[in-house]
Amino acid sequence: MTESGRYLYAIARGLDPSVLAGVPALAGGRLEVVEHRGLEAVVSTVDLEEYGEDGLRRNLEDLAWLEEVARGHDTVVQAVATHAPAAPLRLATICLDDDGVRERLDSSHDALEEVLDRVEGRREWSVKVFARPRPAPQQAVPQPTTGGGAAYLQRKKAESQAREADESSAAVVADEVHERLAVRSVAGRRLAPQDPRLTGRSETMLHNGAYLVEVDEGDAFAALVDELASAHPEVTVECHGPWPPYSFATLEQQ
Amino acid sequence: MTSTLDVGASGGTTVEPEPVHGRQIALVDLLDRLLGVGVVLAGDVVISLAGVDLVQVRLHALISTIRSDMVEPR
Repeated sequence: MTESGRYLYAIARGLDPSVLAGVPALAGGRLEVVEHRGLEAVVSTVDLEEYGEDGLRRNLEDLAWLEEVARGHDTVVQAVATHAPAAPLRLATICLDDDGVRERLDSSHDALEEVLDRVEGRREWSVKVFARPRPAPQQAVPQPTTGGGAAYLQRKKAESQAREADESSAAVVADEVHERLAVRSVAGRRLAPQDPRLTGRSETMLHNGAYLVEVDEGDAFAALVDELASAHPEVTVECHGPWPPYSFATLEQQ
Repeated sequence: MTSTLDVGASGGTTVEPEPVHGRQIALVDLLDRLLGVGVVLAGDVVISLAGVDLVQVRLHALISTIRSDMVEPR
């Protein structure tokens, strides 16, 4: 016999469950809402073979599985966040039954209310700054006519110093971009820059920022990013959003 | 099989707000958030997401793709 559990996607406030009709749940399930003390947990049933501790340990190592679950989770969170203030939960938050869900809503009630107050009417924007790849060295360093080893090493050293100088000035630009955006948003935070093996890009990511912005300030925020990008052609600035407030739904007290 | 974490549909230098109905988040950004930040409510199933190393996961996926490619032409 296989046991089942309740997968939690997000906690919302004032969510009309009917808006979730037609939104797909993970594993072909059906979305349901568990209500407690004015908060709603959006959940669906999953098989603990797949989502229990052993299953998760195995499956989290599988990129295809991870992608499917992350996308499914995000689809639900986006649908919820469109209709009500929503605090997205981390991937694979699972309770054994609805009583377990209510227990969590109860014990973290005040902290969840605070999160919902913080994110209500706001969206997350992602802004990244990349170092521009250094153009292939032109004739800045005189090419030695005789390919001596010392000359070669000297040239390599000069190139490497120039690259370091570029990266450090680009890092200053990244700091400035972050400061300007943070002033313009409700909150801003710097996430860890992504590894090039994950982004598949050769440029160094100098800044991986997340900003919480009022829904009706989104255009102005995007315009400011555009302005900063034009002012700093020495770096690449990328902006994506608006997204649900994933990076700003952290509980203050545990 | 999918083995790349796409950086997003566009790689421009400036702002490219996504279409209203297509706000798909690049997988790497989504995993950054779903594994790294966000509300943590301890569920009944306890598993440490902190231990999920995406670089390793991706390398594993790439390696298994390469291996299956190598095995196929028999």
